[in-house]
Amino acid sequence: MQQKIRDIAKALLLKKELDLIIGFGEGSLPLRATPIFVRTPEEADQLVWNSFCENNLATYLSKFSQLRVGLVVKGCDGRSVTALHLEKRFRNHPVFRIGVACQRMVDRRKVRKAVKGEILAAYEQGDRILVRGKDFEVSLNRGDFLYPSCRVCTRRTPSPVDVLIGDRVEEIPLIETHPEVAAFETMSPEERWRFFERETSRCIRCYACREACPMCYCRECFVDNSHPKWIEKGLAPSDLQFYHIVRAFHQAGRCSGCGACERACPMEIRLTYLTQRLNRDVKELFGFEAGIVPDAPPPLSTFDTEDKQEFIK
Amino acid sequence: MKLKLDKKDLRPFWESLMADYDLYGPVELTEGVSVFKKIDRPEEISPNVLNTQKPAKDVFFPQSEVMFRYEEAGKRKEVTSFEELKRKRVLWGARPCDIQGISVIDHVFLGKDYTDVYFQRKREGTTIIGVACDHPRSTCFCSSAGGGPFLRDGSDLFFVDLGKAYLVEVLTEKGKAIQGNRFFQKAKKEDLAFAKEVEKKASKELKPTLSLEETEKKLDQLVESALWDRIHEKCLGCGACTLLCPTCHCFDIADESLNRCGQRVRNWDTCLSEIYSQETSGHNPRPTVRERTRQRLMHKFSYFPKNFGRIACVGCGRCILYCPANFDIRQVIEKINAN
Amino acid sequence: MDNNWEPKILAFLCNWCSYAGADLAGTSRVQYPPNIRVVRVPCSGRINPLFILKALQSGIDGVLVSGCHPGDCHYLSGNYVARRKSAALKRFLEYLGIEEGRVQFSWVSAAEGLKFSQVVQEVTEDVKKLGPPKRLVKRK
Repeated sequence: MQQKIRDIAKALLLKKELDLIIGFGEGSLPLRATPIFVRTPEEADQLVWNSFCENNLATYLSKFSQLRVGLVVKGCDGRSVTALHLEKRFRNHPVFRIGVACQRMVDRRKVRKAVKGEILAAYEQGDRILVRGKDFEVSLNRGDFLYPSCRVCTRRTPSPVDVLIGDRVEEIPLIETHPEVAAFETMSPEERWRFFERETSRCIRCYACREACPMCYCRECFVDNSHPKWIEKGLAPSDLQFYHIVRAFHQAGRCSGCGACERACPMEIRLTYLTQRLNRDVKELFGFEAGIVPDAPPPLSTFDTEDKQEFIK
Repeated sequence: MKLKLDKKDLRPFWESLMADYDLYGPVELTEGVSVFKKIDRPEEISPNVLNTQKPAKDVFFPQSEVMFRYEEAGKRKEVTSFEELKRKRVLWGARPCDIQGISVIDHVFLGKDYTDVYFQRKREGTTIIGVACDHPRSTCFCSSAGGGPFLRDGSDLFFVDLGKAYLVEVLTEKGKAIQGNRFFQKAKKEDLAFAKEVEKKASKELKPTLSLEETEKKLDQLVESALWDRIHEKCLGCGACTLLCPTCHCFDIADESLNRCGQRVRNWDTCLSEIYSQETSGHNPRPTVRERTRQRLMHKFSYFPKNFGRIACVGCGRCILYCPANFDIRQVIEKINAN
Repeated sequence: MDNNWEPKILAFLCNWCSYAGADLAGTSRVQYPPNIRVVRVPCSGRINPLFILKALQSGIDGVLVSGCHPGDCHYLSGNYVARRKSAALKRFLEYLGIEEGRVQFSWVSAAEGLKFSQVVQEVTEDVKKLGPPKRLVKRK
């Protein structure tokens, strides 16, 4: 797969069909790949493909809107590009989608917690991950260490794409319901609020979640609004809760479920239990899933005269 | 003066400190995530945390700090300032890099022209117990940044892990005030020898690998370089690196008011946010992530050394570990040096 | 809980229907609990979910959003969009643990003075049962 990605990128750049290809390169840390920005056929040799390609590269599109960009997309990233397209974000040039059928990404934090000591190197070997430290070497079953958002994924093959690398995969999720959403729903309202309160209490307002998300592209985010000033810039628990409620809610009908927000958080705040539940609600209420049907209208900008309203007096 | 503290006495030791001081130490908030916090019970401290997410600067320069409160009720007008410390403090568990970071911030907040009273009071009133790094991470590069895993500068007492106990070095007058603690024993010769071995081993693991003096020289010529057009590409402009950096010290002051009462609050800010340099006219001298990434690197490795004589980096490696895009400052420095 | 505690409920009423309905309740001398504080908006579609969250954060005990019946919106489709936003928000808030009944929605037309008073009665009772809010409230 990796070589095919490099070959396609090389060809596109040689033919000067694109100015820039955004893909994944070798990370500087074990268990990481890193976004790379390839502009020449020679640089295309840096492209890699592995189970550590966890970022959603669509978030970089606003940075390079003046260029003709090619994007390496997994299923979820492809949905984000479709969703962005629906929101008319590509007025200058359409995005060239180099689709890769995704094998589900590995949760590097879960791997780190499964071993004692610093991980110095990690290699994929088929369905195993070899993890090496200063005085240990462990072989882990890849399937036990996948991100929850990857385990529930039903769109691993991006579509539509301009070129697809790898074969279409069977779109069967490993589990039906996101495990954290399921666990959350068994709790009482009091317990749920405590969980949410505890998770958000670690927030340091770095906005890594916001910047990692391709759908958060507002020139002025609500947190920077001074008229009205919705929340302050400090650590008041209520403000931390407000921020996360609104950021998640602003993704209603727009979120592809990629999990980039949760993966970006330096304080390891759980976030996908919020976004995945919202996605499910939007699907149940309005029959809409972000980035699946390219021209289905955004659910909160439209309506159906027969929409449910049993909750309205 | 070399003393020893058995690890089984660690919690009672902390408890004994709490009788006279407010104790700050590393607390694990969830598995793998820790910060420095004021301790209510000694069990909260996680002594084996290699390094916290949020650095120790938080103890002296909190992320969100109320400067003063005011209230008007009828004829009564009250202003309560929060400059003074209610009790003296002990910070336990900061690593040499974090302690160096606080010394970096000293240059700005305790400068010759201006003294930040909030920071100063905390600095004066806090005894720092540093803990040596006996097994540094591969992402640590403190020895390249003028530091080292056993750097004692800035610590009032210095603990070295001997396995079943800590070697305790008393380094300053503030440290002397604690040396009489009933849990301290006299260190034996073997303890001192063992500590030396641990120090040698750790220092060997952390040989300097980057030439940051070279970086400072190179950056002078590179302000308009095309290098910056590529360096910024993967940066999301989120600010996680600046908030977790032991030396970053930018802040924003906001007034929060409600009718007749309110407070003035100081919060950390980040030069990587777009509005950081946004001017009222609408002009923004750092309009894109390119300029802001450049600014961050130049500030740390060029402007700060010019103003204060040392780089604004202690090599803790947090920015490398926690960047969502794996922006690795070591790679960028090597690119700059090779230019 | 103090039995004398009276909740403060913020009521966002759309100008053309619900506000007029509230007005009719008043002129008809229909009695309804004095717990609501009315904010007149041009249309229920004007309601930004952040208004509701900000109200909860400020310590308000309950929120009511009321608009025209579907099909009767003065701006044709504002209430349809509000219906969708409200459905999604209500589900999300309850998922998070904000008590069911703190935030409520209704359709009240300009002719439904009596219905308005009944809605206010119900909402006030519901919120009174829930007690003062503790979740999301910003401590000053």
